[in-house]
Amino acid sequence: MPAIEVQRQMLPMLGSPNQGARFYNPELPATEPFVPGHRTCAGCGPSIQYRMTSKAAGDNTILVGPTGCMYVANSSYLCTPYNVPWAHTQIGSSGSFTAGVAAAYEAMIRKGKWKGTFPNIICEAGDGSASDIGLASVSGALYRNHDCLIICYDNEQYANTGIQASSRTPYGGMTTFSPPGPKVPEAKTLFPKDLARMMAAGHPHCYVATASVGYPIDLMNKVRKALNHKGAAFMMIYTPCQKGFVYETPRSIDLGRLVVESGLYPIWEWDPEKREFDYSFRPASMRPVSEYLKLQGRFGHLHAEHIATLQKFANQQWKMMNVAIPEALIKAADAKNLVDMASAEAAAAVAQTV
Amino acid sequence: MSTKGTHIPDWLQVPFAGITPAPSQKGQDLFPTGNWRAIRPVYRDKMPPCNNACGTNEKIQGYLDLVKRGKYLDAYALIKEDMPFPSVTGRVCYHPCEQACNRGKYDEAISIRAVERFLGDLGQALPKDVVKPGKPNGKKVVVVGSGPAGHSAAYQLARLGYAVTILEKSPKAGGLNRGGIPDWVLPQNVLDREIERLVELGITIKTNTEVGKDVSWDELRKNYDAVVLAVGLINPNSIRAEGEDTAGVHYGLPFLRDIGMGTSKVKLGPRVAVIGGGNTAIDCAREAYRQGAQEVTMITVEGNASEMPCVPEDLHDMVEEGVELKHGLACTAILGTGKVEALQLHPAKFSGAINASPITVNKDAKPERFAVDNVIIAVGQHGALKWLPDEFKNDKGGIKADRFGRLGSTNVFAAGDVVQVGQGQPLMVVNAVGDGKRTAFNVDTVLRGEPLQERMVAIDVITDLARMNMTYFPKFPRVQQAMLAPASRRKTQDEVIQAFSEEQAIEEANRCFSCGTCNACDNCYLVCPEPCIIRYDRSNGLYKILVDYCKGCRVCIEECPTGCLEGVPELDFDTGVVRMDTAFAITQGLHGRQAEELRNLPDRPAKDIG
Repeated sequence: MPAIEVQRQMLPMLGSPNQGARFYNPELPATEPFVPGHRTCAGCGPSIQYRMTSKAAGDNTILVGPTGCMYVANSSYLCTPYNVPWAHTQIGSSGSFTAGVAAAYEAMIRKGKWKGTFPNIICEAGDGSASDIGLASVSGALYRNHDCLIICYDNEQYANTGIQASSRTPYGGMTTFSPPGPKVPEAKTLFPKDLARMMAAGHPHCYVATASVGYPIDLMNKVRKALNHKGAAFMMIYTPCQKGFVYETPRSIDLGRLVVESGLYPIWEWDPEKREFDYSFRPASMRPVSEYLKLQGRFGHLHAEHIATLQKFANQQWKMMNVAIPEALIKAADAKNLVDMASAEAAAAVAQTV
Repeated sequence: MSTKGTHIPDWLQVPFAGITPAPSQKGQDLFPTGNWRAIRPVYRDKMPPCNNACGTNEKIQGYLDLVKRGKYLDAYALIKEDMPFPSVTGRVCYHPCEQACNRGKYDEAISIRAVERFLGDLGQALPKDVVKPGKPNGKKVVVVGSGPAGHSAAYQLARLGYAVTILEKSPKAGGLNRGGIPDWVLPQNVLDREIERLVELGITIKTNTEVGKDVSWDELRKNYDAVVLAVGLINPNSIRAEGEDTAGVHYGLPFLRDIGMGTSKVKLGPRVAVIGGGNTAIDCAREAYRQGAQEVTMITVEGNASEMPCVPEDLHDMVEEGVELKHGLACTAILGTGKVEALQLHPAKFSGAINASPITVNKDAKPERFAVDNVIIAVGQHGALKWLPDEFKNDKGGIKADRFGRLGSTNVFAAGDVVQVGQGQPLMVVNAVGDGKRTAFNVDTVLRGEPLQERMVAIDVITDLARMNMTYFPKFPRVQQAMLAPASRRKTQDEVIQAFSEEQAIEEANRCFSCGTCNACDNCYLVCPEPCIIRYDRSNGLYKILVDYCKGCRVCIEECPTGCLEGVPELDFDTGVVRMDTAFAITQGLHGRQAEELRNLPDRPAKDIG
């Protein structure tokens, strides 16, 4: 049998938006696979992510949308904002459906029924689908190394059903399943599942990366890297949810930056060739977690000791990234130096940018 | 589901509710989510503080933006709208723009003057200037004086199509630009080139022509349609001390002027004192070293260096060159027989505005004797206006003009220092240029027979960093201009401050925040969640918000680095958007349209699918 030549798109990387002191985004692709006129909430983080991802991927793309916000809010009355082929699948079958699409194209190319370039096959699963209900199918698709990209847009809860806790909900996060009360003052007692590391550790032949909407060019470049990678790729992207996090809508991108600067959402890449983590991404500054927490209503009930617990968690994350932790952050991990969230204004005075 | 890329069986090809066409690039008709919005993002360019502070309101943000993109010629053309000689102000200006620069509150102000000099030098090297004279309108205007104000007025009038004549009493044109500024700040050939540019615009320059001597006041008014008096202040103020007529006493501006014109006969002794604390005094002190003085001391009435009415940078450079400072003293007498031998100094206090200074001298205190060989007095100057009718003079030695620069209801206007003296503003080149420019426009208005009116435009100067998004701007040090070493520069007339290279100019322009003004960074376009911000061509101010879809989340406003985007309550618009209708309101009538189409469909038998 003659060797089958698969034409891949090999998308080019975008340049940095910072040219010396100047902020100027690189020339972005003109294509708009994601158009307005959808019913996501104002300031929706997943929607920002969807837009950036699809813009990076381009027009020769097939999107898979398991049940989640980006399916429920966007495909009412069988109308979607997707200007590229898009299909819904069940919440638990995100991985298997995507694997099927990829396998179908592989087969069609093998049989000579598809002459064009291999399309970008992207699955946009929510954290509920990727880390809870569809975890097995996502893992299966990654394990079998189908040529696709599975994205977990991580809004840290089940949002479209009315804010329920998922395994990605952070410690202390209030949801309808984890309300704070006299018995459990910190609301959610468990720390979130480290989904991306899990995927990297379990499927080391895959490209795995985390990103945040606060760093759009980094996000778009990682999407392109993942699509250029031959085989399966997985990305976890931080996307704030205005309804669930309870913040002012203009802060969507700002939170995406703050969560990285506070160390609660480390940004890294797993290099499948070298089989090692790449921690070279560094935010412009490091901040105490209280600066991130105080912007969100879901953390409004936290006491000083809970904030200290989160700071300890953040410091561990910095340590994992081989970053020297400044004195101020070590100090902030001690509850004595912190105040309750109820007096967040006072917390702001304690919190110092480092 | 989107139908693009999908094969639709032909029995489903009819447009009925449920199967909708693929969304257009513009958006989906079905969900005009713009009716959720309470606050609308609007692009509204604000006044950057640098443009506002500039005496002639140069579009500084504009030309820095063009320099960033490497469009030097456009930048030069933009600067030339307001400033006839950027190569001169790029060297001599006291840059009020840099004092106002918002970057100064963040790290260091942008070196705007150096970029201006870069552009000015670029313009000097052009074989032909970018500026063209206006279409001749047959009217003649005479400008008296070729200093900054006269130069600027003549330049703007020539651009408006007037036949302009400049009268200059000195043998060379240039006025204060030539006579008041030493060669080591502004080389003469740079100025000569700018004067050539004026001649290229069709302006006639008559040198050695003095009003009141060669031309009379009445001749001026008779021979020309309008007159602009930009005569400046040429007579130095005295310090009213005994013995001021002793040999060896010089006055600041004539001292510099004679050196500048090449007619100086001054020979300085080893010890020189300069009286005064302004910019001219600083120039005199530094020039004294270049004229052979060994020890230069500056005597000011101000209590300390920070109170001196001068530019701190120049003061720093002067001290670097070795000038000593003596503060809180007034010279009450110049001692010596036939030649200056010493000064008698009394403690004194300074209070009040620049150029109008009440000084209190404590005559009871024991006077200090300060031995010197020469003294240069630089304590301001006043006009020489003997030829002018008394009704147009004011009590400060200047010309009495209304706020448009007009003298009564005549066609005579005045501009520059001679009008601005005593108004509380420092007299500087750029302010004179701005005054010349505005006066030229007023002359034009009057000659066209239109009434003079003040333009009442509310300007929103953006000075609060909180109105911009600072997270996008990394801290970045100012690019320093190279300078000659203090020891070597004391002896030469070479330029002290060196020009920027092209790379340095771009690097410095890149530091500009572009305060309040869109610079096409694409950030709003990138962060919109809808995305309802579109642009067909990436350029300043060419972004468009699809208000049918914008939900008013304000992410773009928050993330706009320059603060150009702002939120305006929807109730301020009268576009008929009904707020808080449900998302399901089919205002665009897509379903309605489909229902209509369905009604109009011919009856067809059902397909046999089987």
